[in-house]
Formats: sequence, C-alpha cells, structure tokens
Amino acid sequence: MSHFLLMVVYALLLSVFFAALWRRNRREQVVLFLQLFVGMVGGGLLVAWLMYPFPSGPPAPIP
Amino acid sequence: MSAPVRSPETTRPETPAAKAAAAAALDAAAGRRGALAAMLAVVFPGLGHLYLGRKARAALFAAIVLVAVVIGAKLDGNLYTPLQGHPLTYLATLGSMGMGLPYFLLLYPLHYAGDVTAQGYDYGTAFLLSAGLMNLLLVLDAWDVGTGRKE
Repeated sequence: MSHFLLMVVYALLLSVFFAALWRRNRREQVVLFLQLFVGMVGGGLLVAWLMYPFPSGPPAPIP
Repeated sequence: MSAPVRSPETTRPETPAAKAAAAAALDAAAGRRGALAAMLAVVFPGLGHLYLGRKARAALFAAIVLVAVVIGAKLDGNLYTPLQGHPLTYLATLGSMGMGLPYFLLLYPLHYAGDVTAQGYDYGTAFLLSAGLMNLLLVLDAWDVGTGRKE
C-alpha cells in the first residue's frame, strides 16, 4: 500500500467516526466529515510539500 | 357520585419530597443504564450503542474500529504491551486496550506481535492505537447517551 493511500484511508475512517460521534443531524455530519477529511489529507500534503526541500538523510537504524 | 378521573398530571407526586424521590429514582435508573452501556462498550466496539437501541450507529462504530484493527494488524503494526523502564508504553497499552476484546484476541489466541522491520509498521501502529482510542471515546458516548445527557 502506498503512503498516500494509507493516509487517505486513515483520514476517511477518522472523519466518518468523528462526524457520526459529534453530530446527530445528517447535514451537519456531512459538513464535519468534509472539514475533517479535507483538513487531514490537505494538511498532510501541505506538510509534505513544506518538507520537500529538506534532505531525508540516511535511513534510521532498526532498533 | 363517581370518583373523578385522574389525569397523568394529577397522579404525579406533588410534594417536594416525593418529587425529589422520583427524580432520584430516575437518576439512579439512568445511571445504571449508562454504566451498563459503558461496560458493554468496553467489552466490544459498538456493543454499548447496540444495548441502547442505536443499531445503525453501533454497526457503523463497530465497523470503523474493526477495520482500523484489521488494517493495523495486516500492516504488522505494534500492539502495545507494557515494557519495564518505558513509562509511555503503559499509556499506549491503556490506549490500545481500549479496543476491548479484539486487543486480547490478537494478543493471546492469535499471539499477534508486530514486525518492526515491516514496511507498514508505523502506519499499522497508528491504526491499532487509533482503534483503541476511538473505542474509548465510544465508551464515553455510550455513557452519555445511557444517562440521557446526549441523544
């Protein structure tokens, strides 16, 4: 599985979970779901873009 | 002359002491309902909501938590257990144990142990830990719904 796909699946699960947990009205649930999902995926991409100029360096040793 | 018909309003306790007793009895019943719902939610994701009659929500919550557990296990993530000298593992273990029965099923009958060399180890750990934490939130929600604080 690619990193991006895992990030999207994770964001999807958490967004659905919190939308169902925190909101009771269907319309409000959809709005919160979109806010959380776009926030998580978009935020992840933004952080990745900001880190792009920095070299990754050698891989960390396995403990 | 026949006795007057008593409406539900007139059969309610009228004295302040009777009202207080009725409210206390109602609170005690709601408290027991909330406690049982919370305990069931600890045992298995969604069970507390199922007990409270929220069938659709119970199925959705159970599916989300179990999907997170399965993905985490498939990615060979770490299922936290306490490690001496590493206090944070105690907290992480409590968080992971929040998923209830699946935690113990993975640990004992299935002898699940994550693989630190696996490519998806970190992602798997995040999924497993999140599953436990999500179910802990479900326990609190079941308590709130059971006691009438929430719909």
